Amino acid sequence: MFPTELKDLFFYFISALTITTALATVLVKNVLQSAIFLIFSFVATAIIYLMLHAEFIAISQVMVYAGGVVIFVIFTILLTSHLGETAFSTKVPRNFIAAFLGLSFLGLAYRFLFQNHSLLSYTPSAPLDYASLKSIAFRLLSIQSNGFVIAFELIGLILFASLIAAVSIARKQKEEK
Amino acid sequence: MTLLNCLLLSFILFGIGVFGLLRRRHIVAMLISIELMLNAANMNFISFAYFSKGDASAGAIFSLFVIAITACEMAIALAIVIAMYRRTHSLDIDSLRGLHE
Repeated sequence: MFPTELKDLFFYFISALTITTALATVLVKNVLQSAIFLIFSFVATAIIYLMLHAEFIAISQVMVYAGGVVIFVIFTILLTSHLGETAFSTKVPRNFIAAFLGLSFLGLAYRFLFQNHSLLSYTPSAPLDYASLKSIAFRLLSIQSNGFVIAFELIGLILFASLIAAVSIARKQKEEK
Repeated sequence: MTLLNCLLLSFILFGIGVFGLLRRRHIVAMLISIELMLNAANMNFISFAYFSKGDASAGAIFSLFVIAITACEMAIALAIVIAMYRRTHSLDIDSLRGLHE
């Protein structure tokens, strides 16, 4: 179930790094430190994608998540930074419920992963360039019946509309000044 | 590195995301936890694309879609955060209670 070659040991190391930084993301008090740990978690995830031979996804993970989204989050935190987490009221103790629901995913993993023995019989069977830039780009923009050009156009439209909406929500109103 | 290992990793990451989403009250921290959960879902897509015999490129393309939608979601959510901070001077999620009262 848990093989021990050099590549697998590296996988376990990166997995432990991902899990540790993700735990640190939700456990540290300071929101800014939390965002910094999120960057490490995303970069470790990108290394896992590299090990799964999905190079293009790994690069776009680093560019969009670690480069764009988290930097956006950090800017927002710094804009509103004089409010620490300690200023917030917590009337209900939620740590127990949160830990219970979080750990229940381990129970789900036991039920659906470890008792399903057919998962062990999968071997890497994707072609080696399945996520290269060329195959993704041809597939994304193909007008054949297995292409994704309609979804691509829709995503572009949604991105455009949501960026305009974000600007108009965050814009300073005249009477608020 | 088998399919079981990758799925286990994504389950653990999703559980950590749920834990953080329920534990924190800071609205930006809750958004960060949602990012962790979406990241776990992406890892599921890539793992099945790599290990199963089906259409591998389609799985990779869907994770690209997830990344794009996440960028949209964060843009809208952080704009709402800025507007909310400007109006109430607080980022506690409980200060949004006035929306339904």
